[in-house]
Amino acid sequence: MTVDQISSAADRSSAATDTGRAPATAGPRISMTARRHRAFYLFTSPWIIGFLLLTVTPMGYALWLSFTTFDGISPNWKYVGLDNYRELLNDPVTWGALGRAGLFAVTSVPLSIIAGLALAVLVNRPLKARGLFRTLLYLPAVVPPVGAGLAFKLLFDPNSGATNGVVTFFGFEAIGWLADPYARYVLLMTVLWAAGNVMIISLAGLQDVPRELHEAACIDGASAWRTFRSITVPLLSPVLLFQTVTGMIASVQTIMPLLLAPLGDTSGITTVPQSNYLYMMHVFAQYFALGRYGYASALLWVLFVLILIATGLIFRFTSGAVFYNVDPEAKK
Amino acid sequence: MTATTLPPQSSATDARVRVRTRRLVLYTVLVSVTGLFLGPFGWLVLSALKTQGELAASPVHWLPEAFQWHNFADAFTQIDFLGYARNSLIIALLYATLVTVSSAWVGFGFARLDAPGKKVLFGILLGSMMLPQMVTLLPTYLIFAKVGMVDTYWPWVLWGLSAAPYLVFLFRQFFAGMPRELEEAAIVDGCGYPSIFWRIFLPQSWPVLSASFIIAFTWTWGDYIAPQLLLSTDRTTLAVAVMTTYVNEGGTPVPELQAAASVMYVVPILLIFLVAQRGFVAGMSTSGLK
Repeated sequence: MTVDQISSAADRSSAATDTGRAPATAGPRISMTARRHRAFYLFTSPWIIGFLLLTVTPMGYALWLSFTTFDGISPNWKYVGLDNYRELLNDPVTWGALGRAGLFAVTSVPLSIIAGLALAVLVNRPLKARGLFRTLLYLPAVVPPVGAGLAFKLLFDPNSGATNGVVTFFGFEAIGWLADPYARYVLLMTVLWAAGNVMIISLAGLQDVPRELHEAACIDGASAWRTFRSITVPLLSPVLLFQTVTGMIASVQTIMPLLLAPLGDTSGITTVPQSNYLYMMHVFAQYFALGRYGYASALLWVLFVLILIATGLIFRFTSGAVFYNVDPEAKK
Repeated sequence: MTATTLPPQSSATDARVRVRTRRLVLYTVLVSVTGLFLGPFGWLVLSALKTQGELAASPVHWLPEAFQWHNFADAFTQIDFLGYARNSLIIALLYATLVTVSSAWVGFGFARLDAPGKKVLFGILLGSMMLPQMVTLLPTYLIFAKVGMVDTYWPWVLWGLSAAPYLVFLFRQFFAGMPRELEEAAIVDGCGYPSIFWRIFLPQSWPVLSASFIIAFTWTWGDYIAPQLLLSTDRTTLAVAVMTTYVNEGGTPVPELQAAASVMYVVPILLIFLVAQRGFVAGMSTSGLK
């Protein structure tokens, strides 16, 4: 399949450049359409080939591995059918990790969308130094995860961290932020810290909201909150849906728990506190610490299917609430 | 409540006072939120200037007794900082350049050309944006190990050549908005689509090209898992080195050097962002599904 794709793409590319140099002798109309078709595949082939080789192939390979006991070293691995999936269903550690990942997604995604939207509304007002505020609030979103992880680790250090400095200043006991059960709140804060991402994308959406609509609402005597709820939010709904889906997918992939964990071994997996032991940490532990590639592959496939289901459900349940093509200019 | 009973003049000052207090509240909220957002990074910088004792002290030492500027020099010399930075730079430049060109190329195809199957392909492209990369990365690592591409920069070349759905979408949106006459005249002159792309469309798309390049560069510079998986200790990137190599003889991490190193690791990205802020923000925001 992939070889065919490559060779046919190569045929197309040579054909396209040939016709490109010398105008075709056949009827101009037919050759024009044919040329456009050929050119389309010539242009999209890098992505098509890449998708087949670098996405479909690894996924297929993982599916095959998930039916085996492959550990990367031992030559005695064998096909075990659905054993890995059966184990997965009966493993309380897997269920715990999945539950925590789910909980993390359903708390962090809505919170960061609300925070990002609030920031966007705030910096969309006519203010002095608006650009500066936008830039500063967006800045944490460009800090690479490793930098963010270390910054939060130092900030929430039980002894010398600034947060415990404040906590003890007010006469409370110092809190073990990076251990159970508080570690999950620190993790949540790292996500909220990057709410500038949602802010920037919502800001573009806010600026597309037609001014006349707000003016009309104002004349009708609608309150600011009412205008926001009935005009701004519906008009922003495609952006918010996009944020929800990508945010959910990003949240299951977060490696922040690893970066926040005290440095024990180089991979850091074994030192992640229980409350931050999310599904992906479980996959890493099976993969790196135990070398159980077969079982880890099964875990990955289950995650993939769960994400597909979750995305489908999100689209399904929001289909009535998301409005596209509300741009009045587009209709003229 | 009182406004209706008061004479008009003082109701006007009343309104002005209300506007002023509102503005004051707004600025107070903004300044304190911004302060909270800058806090973690500020604390990182402060930590980089403390001694190890101060970093372990309880209760907290808010400010270092003396600024330990030498921490930055020590972080630079204790490990091969420049070497790791060079590795990061190589893969980031390699990937960002290739993926920008390939995504523009593919984006042009989706924006200006058509063929049977285009809709399905575009659907798959958008769908693959929602595919978690982490799920494919572990099996990808096994495949790369099999074909001998572990501990080389080839994976980044391949990833770069095969375009990134997010950036393809960005370019598609941009190219779709350009006037049709641009290509029609060229076609009449017998110009092929590749040269239309290179000579007419690409030279006009500097804003998107730079946004795409910066986005891709930041992704690679910030990536932790892929280099951790695919590269050996010598060839790995600064992201991995900052996390794993600042340990003393006993194997315990040295936090002040780690802090200093991660300031030096993060600052280039912040500088790039600040310099290219406009294009970057525009690039990010056009992706918000329109």
